[in-house]
Amino acid sequence: MRSPGARSPGGAAPAAGGTGAGGDPGADAWLELAVTCDPEAVEAVSEIFARIAPGGVSVEPGFTLVDEGLGAAVDPAAPATVRAYLPARDAGPARASAAAVERALGHLQAFGLREIGELRTRVVHEADWASAWKRHVGVLRVGHGIVIRPTWRRHRRRAGDTVLAMDPGMAFGTGLHPTTRLCLAGIERWADEGLLARGGARDGTARLLDVGCGSGILAIAAGLLGAGELLGVDPDPIAVEATLANARRNRVARRLRARRGSLPSGAGPFDLVAANLIASLLATLAADLAAELRPGGRLLASGIFVDREAAVRQALEGAGLRVLRREAEGDWVALEAERGER
Amino acid sequence: MAKKIRIVLTLQLPAGKATPAPPVGTALGPHGINIVEFTKTYNEKTADKVGQVIPAQITIFEDRSFTFVLKTPPAADLLRKAAGVDRGSATTGREKAGTITRDQLREIAAIKLADLNANDLEAAMRQVEGTARSMGIEVAG
Repeated sequence: MRSPGARSPGGAAPAAGGTGAGGDPGADAWLELAVTCDPEAVEAVSEIFARIAPGGVSVEPGFTLVDEGLGAAVDPAAPATVRAYLPARDAGPARASAAAVERALGHLQAFGLREIGELRTRVVHEADWASAWKRHVGVLRVGHGIVIRPTWRRHRRRAGDTVLAMDPGMAFGTGLHPTTRLCLAGIERWADEGLLARGGARDGTARLLDVGCGSGILAIAAGLLGAGELLGVDPDPIAVEATLANARRNRVARRLRARRGSLPSGAGPFDLVAANLIASLLATLAADLAAELRPGGRLLASGIFVDREAAVRQALEGAGLRVLRREAEGDWVALEAERGER
Repeated sequence: MAKKIRIVLTLQLPAGKATPAPPVGTALGPHGINIVEFTKTYNEKTADKVGQVIPAQITIFEDRSFTFVLKTPPAADLLRKAAGVDRGSATTGREKAGTITRDQLREIAAIKLADLNANDLEAAMRQVEGTARSMGIEVAG
């Protein structure tokens, strides 16, 4: 897949210097400058843009998705788009800067760099950049009663709703990935079966381990649905911080611990383990995951790309786990397994 | 977590001083990315490099979470340092702003090689030399 928009002209963009002709562009106006060019010219074009745009420059390279979409490789043959912005409150100076950039770009071609496209300009408006992204974030519903609510959104609770307040950030986005949805639905099923209400926690409810906890969403959901002791582990310190902050926000902090690391957790056995990882990691960790469970305990293994399902099943079965259930959404599969009674 | 990538992009920003204004807001806002969290984390990670431009290569996932890694400073910054030219004295390419040696060019190309999408050092040198000439910096020898 190529990055969207590469080499596409900027819609109805006026030519360079054509900023807001015939009127005041407004106090919140910015003049966007964009050039699509060969990757070889990106550094030189960025330097020219940086002369007039102290806030910085953005570069959108062409890229190819690799490793089942889990990785990206920048494509050295695909054109890249370089963009910069200048305040356009006063159209005059912005227009002069754009013209200077156009002249400098004209010289570039003479220096033996490969193709450089035309300079495209347009005026963009935005009053508040710091909060603009929040418009794209809404309340999400998973399973029959789990609701994910960004803290600044209101939600009218229906009977049976379990509401998680989660602010998007690095560890958790503004949408739910299918692998996370599959896990949340699985945890809700555990609650429906009464598995969260009984187990090895001090209060007689379940102990749950969240492997690769990320934002902590799975452990927190399990806590709100009744599990009494929760542990999240993740190699990423940002994830551990996010998990603890989200636990406080959802008032399960007293029942939830989170720490940096992987398996073994050293805190087993658990009644339930949720592992929203990737297929290769699930296969590698199968024996460790099984070892965290008490006999009869359940594992939810998610993040399995459909092509890799067989390998994960084989690894889980090889570790003494019996696959009880399969759920799928799009290209993603989640498996629920049980540890034998021995 | 297993998350599919939605888009990859690079922001060249002033170390320690990024703000939610463009290009950050315009690049990340439409993807539903928490802009304030990005600028805060970027500024923390680059606080010891204030005065430099440090690019951040940002990966945005399908669920709109994101991660980023810092890259080497743009070739232009390295060239200015090598030529002893101040920021702001860049010209349109017609006036000579400074000079660097071919060895310095090679050194800068070697630093930038991993981030330039160049196949070999020669290709990287050609790219850096193009940038240098555009800035009015001559390569001697």
